[in-house]
Amino acid sequence: MQLLANYLTLAALYALIACGYVLVYRVSRVLTLAHGEVMMVGAYLLLTMGTLFHLPPLPAFIAALLMSLVVGLAIYWMVMRRMAGETVFAAVLVTIALGILLRGAMALVWTPRLQYPAEAIAMENPSVALGGSVAVSQASLLIIASAVLVYGGLFLFFRHTTWGVRMRAVGENPRLAAQRGIAPHGPLALAWGIAALTGGLAGMLLSIDTGIDEAMAIIGLKTFPVVLVGGLDSLSGAIIGALVVAGAEILAIYYVDPLVADVAPFLVLLAILMVRPWGLFGTREELDRV
Amino acid sequence: MLKKLLLTGAVMASMAGTALGQDSYVVGISGALTGPGAGTYAPVIEAVRMYFDKVNKAGGINGHKVDLVALDNQSNPSKAAADTKRLLLQDNALIIVNSSLSSTYEPMINETNRAGAPLLFGGSVCPTQVFPKADPLLFCTTSFGAHYDSNMALAFIKQAAKEDVMIGFSAMAIPVSRGEIDYAEEQAPKMGFKPVAKEIIPPPTANYGPHAVKIKDAGANWVYSWAPWVTQIKTFEALRTQGWGGKMIAFGHINAEDELARVKDDGFYVFGANALFQEGLPIHKEIEETAKAAGATFPVTQLAEGWVVAMALDAALTKTGWPASREKLAAVMNDLEIDTKGLRGGPVKWTADNHFRTDAFYRVYRWDSAKNAIVSESDWVSFPVN
Repeated sequence: MQLLANYLTLAALYALIACGYVLVYRVSRVLTLAHGEVMMVGAYLLLTMGTLFHLPPLPAFIAALLMSLVVGLAIYWMVMRRMAGETVFAAVLVTIALGILLRGAMALVWTPRLQYPAEAIAMENPSVALGGSVAVSQASLLIIASAVLVYGGLFLFFRHTTWGVRMRAVGENPRLAAQRGIAPHGPLALAWGIAALTGGLAGMLLSIDTGIDEAMAIIGLKTFPVVLVGGLDSLSGAIIGALVVAGAEILAIYYVDPLVADVAPFLVLLAILMVRPWGLFGTREELDRV
Repeated sequence: MLKKLLLTGAVMASMAGTALGQDSYVVGISGALTGPGAGTYAPVIEAVRMYFDKVNKAGGINGHKVDLVALDNQSNPSKAAADTKRLLLQDNALIIVNSSLSSTYEPMINETNRAGAPLLFGGSVCPTQVFPKADPLLFCTTSFGAHYDSNMALAFIKQAAKEDVMIGFSAMAIPVSRGEIDYAEEQAPKMGFKPVAKEIIPPPTANYGPHAVKIKDAGANWVYSWAPWVTQIKTFEALRTQGWGGKMIAFGHINAEDELARVKDDGFYVFGANALFQEGLPIHKEIEETAKAAGATFPVTQLAEGWVVAMALDAALTKTGWPASREKLAAVMNDLEIDTKGLRGGPVKWTADNHFRTDAFYRVYRWDSAKNAIVSESDWVSFPVN
């Protein structure tokens, strides 16, 4: 049962990180390789809310989430908007450069040392007993709850709101959407904003559990197989991808060798790519366009 | 301070060709100011910078200033090689300091060997070539040392344990950490311990829980970890989260003092070679004052390791005299005693055969809830290095 609790925590974390990749790709067709860094920015913003403004946990989270949203909007407005009309490959390269820039900026502003936002915002992270000998940290429960809320919210948003429908329209056929009067910049900026918000939330919750150091960005990048397994343009796929990859990782740790856990996500990815190169829930023509 | 270091690197790069060292000692550093491992190495470089700023203000060494040229290799081997070449050929550095991941060692050793310059490892893991019988040009001040550390940790467990020891191990999946934990696993039965689990944890890991479950389920009542700090502390916290009630001992890296105070757990021991700042020695006060005046980026508790590097450079340059050359400096370093003023349990002594230290000193600390403070569990313990 303890293994199951750990599995759900890891799957929820991967799902929370993965939805940013999917949102950006689904709406803009850009594969962002700066998502790990954006996630880390979120964690540092939470830290700053504590160290600089001495905010308690809830206001600190709200403020850091809003700032993450602004970071995402700014990335689109200042960088990615200028890539309109360029090849997808060029846009991907820009995201790599953006990641390097963000890493350097974070080292200068916050230093590369291990830091603890939980301490800064005076938030406890106790162990929570779930019955029997099963226990997880409070942050782990928050990660699971956040993943459920974020995905539930996004499904409702895309199905039942004007902006959600606009984002879907721009993602499916930007030219047709423009002809129907939907200016692309708003939905595209919002996609980057929401991706930064959800990625930032994942970074914040992970940092409450284990602190922030320079390796956090790599955890963001490690989530990449989740997105490819599930399908680059599918939110449902991201959930399934997270469950499959986290399962493979946990089983490898427990029953094979902890070292295999590092490559397990990529073994799963390889297997899926051989059978369904567009992922379990991805759209075939989308992959052809990549 | 970190900004200052990075800016200094940029300015120095723009001064390529400018003659340094005509009237000063030039010390070159190629270290990870950013990139992988920067959290461990950047504080070391900052401490060295602060130390020599202070020395220069007081008139320098033997009446000559020390020009410190610090370049950011981001733990990238090809950058480290290019940095070293530049420091040796353009900046005329007398000595090079490495403070970055072990992947940078080989290219830097090749370059310094070619130029006949000493290479000092400071804050980064000591390579095998500094232990007896040592390479004439390679030196190390880093507090941790393979095998001696594990001997110390296992000896402490033997002394502290009141019950049969079922020991679990935790390492990071990097060669140096794995190798040391493999060594400790071999030694444990000789001490009467039963090894029950060994987790080699890949970097980076999002969730340490599954690794902790394995150690806990195996029945370990003691855990020993010798790995970068993140692996040690995250393993311990994951164990506690899952209700593990045993004790753990880990190497006290530069973060140890802050972390003992954060975690506040009586069952978490750290052992290391540097005296913690809570001891309040005069040398600690000196570092605190220097850090305050310099506007240090990193907590003062993380600066001792770099301070020892600077003390070693100071002692070596002082004994070399003026004018200095790489040959003279290397010869001096082959017979040098560095007074650490209490930062370590004794002096760092280098001989022709031993460029690690002739005696490895250790002290064990833990959090004491009753005293609401960090306490020393033992006086200094020394192991001869031969």
